[in-house]
Amino acid sequence: MPDVAKIAADLERAGLGAVQVAEEGLGVVCRADTSDAPRVLEALKADGFEMLLDLFGADTGEGLVVTYHMRSISLDEDVYVTADLAYGGTLASVWTSYPSALYPERETAELFGLSLEGHPNPKRLLTTDAVEEPLLLKSTAVRTHEEVRRDG
Amino acid sequence: MAEHDDVREPVLIAEGASAPAGLPKGLRRVPRGVDEFATEHLIVNMGPQHPSTHGVLHVLLELDGEEVVAAEASLGYLHRGLEKLSEHRRYHQIGTLLDRADYLSGVHTELAFARALESMMEIEVPARARWLRSLLCEITRLSSHLVWMGTFGMDIGAMAPFLYILRDRDAVLDVLEEITGARMMFNYVRPGGVLYDITPKAEQMMLEFLDRFESTYLPEYHDLLTGNEIFRARVRDIGVIDRDTAVAFGLTGACLRGSGVAWDVRKERPYAAYGELDFDIPSGSKGDCWDRYMVRMEEIRVAGGLARDLLDGMPEGPYMAKVPKVLRPPEGEAYASVESPRGELGVHVVSDGSDKPTRMRLRPPSYFNLAVIDEILPGHMIADVVAVIGSIDIVLGEIDR
Repeated sequence: MPDVAKIAADLERAGLGAVQVAEEGLGVVCRADTSDAPRVLEALKADGFEMLLDLFGADTGEGLVVTYHMRSISLDEDVYVTADLAYGGTLASVWTSYPSALYPERETAELFGLSLEGHPNPKRLLTTDAVEEPLLLKSTAVRTHEEVRRDG
Repeated sequence: MAEHDDVREPVLIAEGASAPAGLPKGLRRVPRGVDEFATEHLIVNMGPQHPSTHGVLHVLLELDGEEVVAAEASLGYLHRGLEKLSEHRRYHQIGTLLDRADYLSGVHTELAFARALESMMEIEVPARARWLRSLLCEITRLSSHLVWMGTFGMDIGAMAPFLYILRDRDAVLDVLEEITGARMMFNYVRPGGVLYDITPKAEQMMLEFLDRFESTYLPEYHDLLTGNEIFRARVRDIGVIDRDTAVAFGLTGACLRGSGVAWDVRKERPYAAYGELDFDIPSGSKGDCWDRYMVRMEEIRVAGGLARDLLDGMPEGPYMAKVPKVLRPPEGEAYASVESPRGELGVHVVSDGSDKPTRMRLRPPSYFNLAVIDEILPGHMIADVVAVIGSIDIVLGEIDR
């Protein structure tokens, strides 16, 4: 398990003292503002978390949460960074630090109705223009083909 | 003559029928020309209906003659919304969906999901169930790697290995059918344990297969493919992924180990019975198609040995823990992962305390492994594209979900 105090101190030195670092059921989680998230990831990279293992969003019903799952291979440790986002907000790309973000950022933007900032290829990844509603928002219902045909 | 410095706007996949396919800004390069004879780039749509794209992968290739100057994978042709559907299913109904993600090794996805739930609900899995889980994982790893080897050989132009692996994989599927009742969509690993115990007949079938596999089949594969000079020439020094690129793109599995990083979830974060087993983690050094090939071929051998060890040391006892009929994990989040044949397969579950997940995120290894082709394909000849894609071992079911 990563050292919470060390990560908090390193983030503070990087001018990110407002980031809350705590051990939770999931593991060590850094809760940051959306605008700070790219800098938090930079700071964690300097701490040895060189791999962005995953990036995904979740709809809480009140807004969105984007989770970055970071890994240090040499330390054999994982850290999660979460950032709250408003519906229809903008997701700042971190691909220059972590190229593994290229696909999941496109997917998250597409499936949660976000705009991408700083992404080299901000297109849809999995669906086409025919899919109008962001699929993973709670407001988007799951409907059968019959229901779509019947109700439009 | 076309304007070479003209960069087309990116187009959406849906517009592909009416608009020419384009590559993103910044990826285009100026044609070099041959002996000062001006050439123009050609954009080729490879797939989604192409035998060597292993399913429904669509790759946009920009070519200068036979040389790839830019590449972009285009996904989504198999998107079924598995994550969204999971939010509308009770926990015990989700296993059926997960089998349809990585359809070559569904047990691994089932296991990652079951482990996430078990950690949230603090369910103690019986020892026999853990060993049965590892056994099924190794049998499906073997079966999945056989499919990869046969199709990879075909990509390079070797037809015979595919016929051999179909013969042998069928024997493995017979064993899986005897244990789980299904040949591909198992729904066998359940939160708390597994659905059925192994039968003496299945055990006997597995041992007979392993005898033939170790004495005859595996040496045959090496004779057919590993020792083939044409095959070697086609995969050596092709598709090199160095260590830093592999880590930067989040590669896992044989793609990461082929680049010299011996990371394997079974060793680093042991689960099921792996903490009680002794086995090697093969790795490469250069990160080319050959290294990835050799890593997987070695993993086939290790999987056979592990299956034998698991059958030999299978503990007695129950194969299922007592779990509530309706699963309601407490409010919170959990991440659990397994080493699938393609790499680290993770499941991230967010629960609000109800009988359905608020969010179920699947981290498919092929999805991240595939992303690297945009980076490594430029500079290769078009004939090498199939070798690179084949060496990555993708399953579009889990990429598109």
